[in-house]
Amino acid sequence: MLWIALRATASASSPPHDAAHPAPEQLALAWWALQFSPRVCVVQEAVLLEVHDSLRLFGGQRALLQRVRSEAAQQGASALAVAPTALAALALLRTLPVVAQAEESAKISEPLSPIPAKSCTPAALQRTLDALPIEVLSATHPHAPTLQRLGCRTLGQLRALPRGGVSRRFGAALLEALDRAYGLRPDALEWLTLPEAFSARLEFAGRIEVAEGLLFGARRLLAQLGAWLQARQRGVVALALHWEYDLVRRGDASNGSLHIRTAEATRDLVHLTRLLGEHLARVTLSAPVVAIRLEAPQTEALATQSISLLPEDLREGETLQQFIERVSVRLGAERVLRGQLVADHRPQHMQRWQPAATTPAPTRKSKAKLPPHLRLHPPWLLREPLRLAVQGERPIYQGPLTLLAGPERLESGWWSLLSSAEAEGQELALRDYFVARSPHAGLLWVYRRRSAGEPAWFLQGVYG
Amino acid sequence: MSAVLRTLHPAPSPAELAGVWRADQLAQAAQATLPSGHAVLDAELPGGGWPLGQLSEVLQAQSGLHEWRLLLPALQVAAQRGPLVLVGAPHLPHLPVLASLGIAPERVLRIDARTPAERLWVAEQALRCKELGALLAWLPQVRTEQLRRLQLAAQGSPAVQAAAFVLRPLTAQHESSPAPLRVAVQSGQGTQLALQLLKRRGPLREQPLALDAPLPVLAALKPARGRTTEPNHAVDRPARDRIRQLTAA
Repeated sequence: MLWIALRATASASSPPHDAAHPAPEQLALAWWALQFSPRVCVVQEAVLLEVHDSLRLFGGQRALLQRVRSEAAQQGASALAVAPTALAALALLRTLPVVAQAEESAKISEPLSPIPAKSCTPAALQRTLDALPIEVLSATHPHAPTLQRLGCRTLGQLRALPRGGVSRRFGAALLEALDRAYGLRPDALEWLTLPEAFSARLEFAGRIEVAEGLLFGARRLLAQLGAWLQARQRGVVALALHWEYDLVRRGDASNGSLHIRTAEATRDLVHLTRLLGEHLARVTLSAPVVAIRLEAPQTEALATQSISLLPEDLREGETLQQFIERVSVRLGAERVLRGQLVADHRPQHMQRWQPAATTPAPTRKSKAKLPPHLRLHPPWLLREPLRLAVQGERPIYQGPLTLLAGPERLESGWWSLLSSAEAEGQELALRDYFVARSPHAGLLWVYRRRSAGEPAWFLQGVYG
Repeated sequence: MSAVLRTLHPAPSPAELAGVWRADQLAQAAQATLPSGHAVLDAELPGGGWPLGQLSEVLQAQSGLHEWRLLLPALQVAAQRGPLVLVGAPHLPHLPVLASLGIAPERVLRIDARTPAERLWVAEQALRCKELGALLAWLPQVRTEQLRRLQLAAQGSPAVQAAAFVLRPLTAQHESSPAPLRVAVQSGQGTQLALQLLKRRGPLREQPLALDAPLPVLAALKPARGRTTEPNHAVDRPARDRIRQLTAA
């Protein structure tokens, strides 16, 4: 039996943990540890995993411990201890100093005299544990004052007390914990399972008044979400953040929520944090917030790309989809547009602009055959045709226009009139398109509208 | 003594040092360039084309007058590598026409940013995207320090093959700008473009270049140069041979 105990760096703002609600960092570390062994449990402030059966898969004890040491630091673990029994590993972990905040050096502290767990004889285990103070065993905490008065300071002294007396005086729980630590009784712990759907709640120690303050807590939950997605090999498509108002001061306000959708399944936590930050910047809280809950209602299986060995493939920076999503959040989805060709003979209806965040990019190039006369049309089209003033018989746009070529007659589609209720008298009118030159505006594409009454000149496009 | 030192450590020629060039010669750009498609212009640009990873400023009297004529050949190549992002375009790009001129319609991304602050922010974010093909930003009001920030973003951009063009009004030619290439475009004789190189990494050139940047419609209009009379608007009489010429082109 080989037990590894890991401790996550606790955040300073979190309330003291309790057994039913482990901190998000602990859960993230536990879910990460599931890749090494299915036997992972969360015990008080530590994550314990039993890896004896996985030793062969990972190439031996030394290789496995090396890997755990190097990767656990990135996952937010600050201390590691190894022992043949669970409570012994926990006890060794508790001898290490607590690190308040995650340090940049990301070094894991380990006990100075680690037990060589594989070739550990019971005598060696006894020798190491005998020297530890009794506080490292949590079963002694209720009886700590009595044991102090007895003069019992270390586990060795506790073990030397008569067993019958200890069980009568302090209860059977203390004796059982002692036996389990020394390997005399088997451990029975409840293993952690990965939930099917992700839902995590975080309670704040204080009250959050500003929406941006929610981002700090949301970041911790996002790290937990990242660990869950990694363990499940999925990417998130829809994300929901709910916040609960303070019951006393909330008045009529009901709990608020925020929903984010991404166009493609993603696991990129930096991008999700930025998206969440942009959305939260527009939220105003009507009451102080006491807790937040993060859920991922929709996830998809994600195929990750394998890392390339070529340096030019490893460019950093965001992908196009992330860029489109971020700009859509800031400006509005209807202002980031991608065009689509429509088969129509009217110039202003030949393309349709759709929000790029919600329409995926077409994977195949459109192979539509375009009519050859389109090469002679202008590359710029005005949003609305501009009515031109007429002097004499000539239209004017930054100078009198000289017509150079034309006319090209385009009739509108009569079928559009049946569907739209707008009284578009000019839709049915005939348009004669000309290419005209203006002294200051270059080549223009103008048309003359033939309807009942005076012919009117409009500017539709610019040859630029 | 100095002769010994000179032979021991020969001075590096400017071609070997990055960012150093003689004032009377065109700089040999260390980074890649995008051929502009106009041979006359390529001969005068350092590196033989539009610089990649730097800002290029194009000044014109009004926005929308000359961009496609000047930049179309370069944008055809750039759009194959990544999307073409238009920030604050003055009019709508007519996609079927661009498709027939060589730019795929699914590559065009139009961002309707209205205020100058929004346009600058979007341009900077576009330069941070690693899949960018080309960026065209219309910035009528921008200060020098904001352009400097864009230039730094372009230099540090992860998209190493992206061309960034900033389009400004002609009145900005008297302001200083951090862009290494500044070009002023006006209409020249006939259907040509008159291009003046305001700033480049090379010797000063006073005479404007005459570019023959054609759009297909200009080729169809060429025989019409000799026309002195105008069509009579009172009577609607379509010029049949003109239509035949246009549709046959």
